[in-house]
Amino acid sequence: MGAQRPQTQEGGTPDAAIPATAGPATLGSSVSESRRSHLLSITDSALGYMSLEDMLSELLERIRDSLEVDTAAVLLLDEDRGVLVARAARGLEEEVRQGVQVPLARGFAGRVAAEARPIIIDLDHAEVVNPILRQKGIRSMLGVPVHVEDRVIGVMHIGTLVRRNFDEDDVTLLQLAADRAALAIDTARISEQRAVTEIMQRSLLPEALPEIPGMRFSAKYLPAGSGVKIGGDWYDIFQLADGQLAFVIGDVVGRGVLAASVMAEIRTALRAYMLQGHGLTEVISMLNELLVSMGRSRGATLSILKLDPPAEELEAVIAGHLPPLLIEPDGRAQLVEQRHGLPVGVRTGHDYEASRYPFPTGSRLLLYTDGLVERRNESIDLGLQRLTTAAEAAARQTDSPLADGVYRALLDETPLEDDVALLAIESLSLDGPLEMTLPARPHVLGGLRKTLGRWLRTAGAGEDELFDLTLSASEAAANAIEHAYGAREATFTVRCEHDGRQVTMIVRDSGRWRTTRPPGGGRGLEIMRALLDDVQVDSDEEGTVVTMTTRLSHQT
Amino acid sequence: MSRPNIEQIDGVPVAHIKEDIDAANAAAILQHLAEALGPDALSLVVDLSDTGYIDSAGIDMLLRLSDRLDHRRARLILVIPETSQLKRLAMVVGLPEVVTIRPSLVDAMRETAKAQAQAAESR
Repeated sequence: MGAQRPQTQEGGTPDAAIPATAGPATLGSSVSESRRSHLLSITDSALGYMSLEDMLSELLERIRDSLEVDTAAVLLLDEDRGVLVARAARGLEEEVRQGVQVPLARGFAGRVAAEARPIIIDLDHAEVVNPILRQKGIRSMLGVPVHVEDRVIGVMHIGTLVRRNFDEDDVTLLQLAADRAALAIDTARISEQRAVTEIMQRSLLPEALPEIPGMRFSAKYLPAGSGVKIGGDWYDIFQLADGQLAFVIGDVVGRGVLAASVMAEIRTALRAYMLQGHGLTEVISMLNELLVSMGRSRGATLSILKLDPPAEELEAVIAGHLPPLLIEPDGRAQLVEQRHGLPVGVRTGHDYEASRYPFPTGSRLLLYTDGLVERRNESIDLGLQRLTTAAEAAARQTDSPLADGVYRALLDETPLEDDVALLAIESLSLDGPLEMTLPARPHVLGGLRKTLGRWLRTAGAGEDELFDLTLSASEAAANAIEHAYGAREATFTVRCEHDGRQVTMIVRDSGRWRTTRPPGGGRGLEIMRALLDDVQVDSDEEGTVVTMTTRLSHQT
Repeated sequence: MSRPNIEQIDGVPVAHIKEDIDAANAAAILQHLAEALGPDALSLVVDLSDTGYIDSAGIDMLLRLSDRLDHRRARLILVIPETSQLKRLAMVVGLPEVVTIRPSLVDAMRETAKAQAQAAESR
């Protein structure tokens, strides 16, 4: 370190820069014993256990004592707005209370931040943005940048009411305090942003995966390990009114709270469009137009898929996302090959195409984001090949959900460089009796018909029989739901079995079969009796049991 | 639930229903269909060609719609193809005795033209 520079307080420049003090400070050998104890008070590890506010206040108090100054303050940079905001102060409490903001590069603190170096000023001669400094009668000030790595995140300054020539030891000590503060501020900010993003993330992913007989769903969401890099990856799964299932996987460009909020918008819009009954290409086009019109600077890649369980057919539309992986019943996995549209939110008027794929019992589908397959310095093809191999191996372990197996194979050892979202859909056998307990709400009817339809196909029912039996079961279920009208948490059960020739379906609830229904009512029972061989309705205090039987003709 | 897609063909409102009609949405669909009918309309065509499922609540809804149209001296015409599962159901509940059913949209439009001609004559 060079010799102490004389302060130029008369004529010449109104302030002086101290050279060679950017970055972590080191103390010269000339530091006195008292300074050494001051140093200890500032680097005291106990400060690390306090909240950020308390820690800064305590640190500033100790600085004020150690350096024998009248004021001490910390301003933090708001990067979005390019201003420094007063965060903690001693002897200058008004600065924080009034929320003083100093534009970058202007005034004293603004210059310290912009030039990223310590600056000493004499207020008699210098430009000062903040009127509080003058009102307080501060005469001399020393400011140092607060930085994390190469980034300036704020400014720490001290001031005296009598003119003072700050020396190099003062600068060194203040810089040391600023470095101590930087660490705490950075840690606090990261955990703050992480908390916000994690809450958003949690609220944006489905609370629980649906439970549907003959289907197995599994999912993983893993934010990348370090820093605030929590992101715009998400998956979604929901049932449409007609009982079809919708699956979504997506990735918003960028990370952090902004990316997560765009993801929230997309997720909501997408669900709304899907639930209104629009087709896949229509939904993705509407979403694209919406995002472009909102002027979101962040595009997103995503895939939307729709499964019709009894039809055993999958429909997919892809907007710039990595292709879904389909594992056929024989265990071979392949990436879906179809035209990829542009990511959504990029260009208006873009056309998307949907493709259909057979999805018979035993099929599996894996949706994922790029963090699962991309490794630094490696081609994406290699990553996709690794995924294909891992998925084939995981699919052979039938007792464990697919997403778990793929996750174990690919991610257990490797530290994550990016977020990963993973959603697996498996179509399992529906042999044997079918049992369902469903909430007594009308929206379950569509799903009930789809599951029952798939079960009846497996049982060998023809098209007409399938229609008659699903209609009858749905009628009985609608009646059970009507019984429970107004009762919260009410459920009903459906049990179906067949011996190869005859199908028996039993719908059981805890209410009474309604004989007095609105005009046109009672028609349900009439329809069931006309379509099936036999319908029995048994009602008592316990509830109502509807037993429906019909012989299968096996004419398909 | 989705709104039925309603278009005007030769001045006649035609509603295409592609979703399942059941207890969950019958009331909402009835409301949309009733609103689709202008004050001077003589017919409403409800196209069920792409409807995969309709239950007793849906049948009930169609009967109520037919009643409402009767009060306004307008006619409900349903399009149900011969091969549709809905046709079997319609027969079971005796729907053809109450409501006009045609196997295709073209046939249904011919029916509405007839109604218009009759109305013009009686004026």
